[in-house]
Amino acid sequence: MEERVYDLIFICRPDTPEEEIDKLINTLGHTAAEKGARFEKVDKWGVKKLAYHVKKLRQGAYIYISLRSSNGGLILELERRLKVTDAVIKYQTIRMDEELKRQEKLGRRREVRAARRPRRTTPAPAAAEPGATAVSTAGQAAGK
Amino acid sequence: MADETTPQTPAPSEAPESAPEAPASTPPSASVGRPHSSGGGQGQGQGRPGGPRPAGGMKRGKRNYPRKKKVCRFCSDKVDLIDYKKVDVLQSFVQDRGKILPRRITGTCAKHQRWLMVAIKRARNIALMPFATEM
Repeated sequence: MEERVYDLIFICRPDTPEEEIDKLINTLGHTAAEKGARFEKVDKWGVKKLAYHVKKLRQGAYIYISLRSSNGGLILELERRLKVTDAVIKYQTIRMDEELKRQEKLGRRREVRAARRPRRTTPAPAAAEPGATAVSTAGQAAGK
Repeated sequence: MADETTPQTPAPSEAPESAPEAPASTPPSASVGRPHSSGGGQGQGQGRPGGPRPAGGMKRGKRNYPRKKKVCRFCSDKVDLIDYKKVDVLQSFVQDRGKILPRRITGTCAKHQRWLMVAIKRARNIALMPFATEM
């Protein structure tokens, strides 16, 4: 099965100690490793203001994880873990590989197009010519 | 015929006194009304109602100032992926209350509006953006 890329974001209570968050990330990482997946990137955004109240809280500590997995069951397992953890107030997993693939494809197509049709500066000479003729006629008129 | 004389007579006499009135009264009598038919009352019956209408249309046309064409911001920036995590970008495409702005206002192209919609909804789901701001 081909590998898929997922974005996993979860929000912890703002008063959660840093060690607990690290421990949670570690356990999630172990679970992922068991299923043959790996975390590409783990990013702690810190405590941010929430756009709306979640479990009567106004703030939350965001943790962003980008992971690569060929096992869809892993996502279920990770989400189950986040659900039972009291410190986590909200989580979201998004499959990103199709969009990333599309981005890559569009980028490549753009490059190809740019290479095939190099930008020429046609308007510049066209604009210069009438000016030049006007100057020359003016010079002739002055000469006469 | 009577109303033809009335606007013209005051115009030359009062020309030095009231200059702005003279040009306002002359165009409807001279340009549009007369060439079709000479008779005032009969002319309206004979000439099609299309006669007076172009004048109105022109007036409306005058009010139509040339509008600046909106260009999709994502197209000009050559964006191939709208990231739902970049809230500051998404924020400029929603109203103060959190509603997504329509394409006709922002000028976003159909493709990018579609992507933008998905991105905003993802950001809303993880509390990065509001569904609706409580006032």
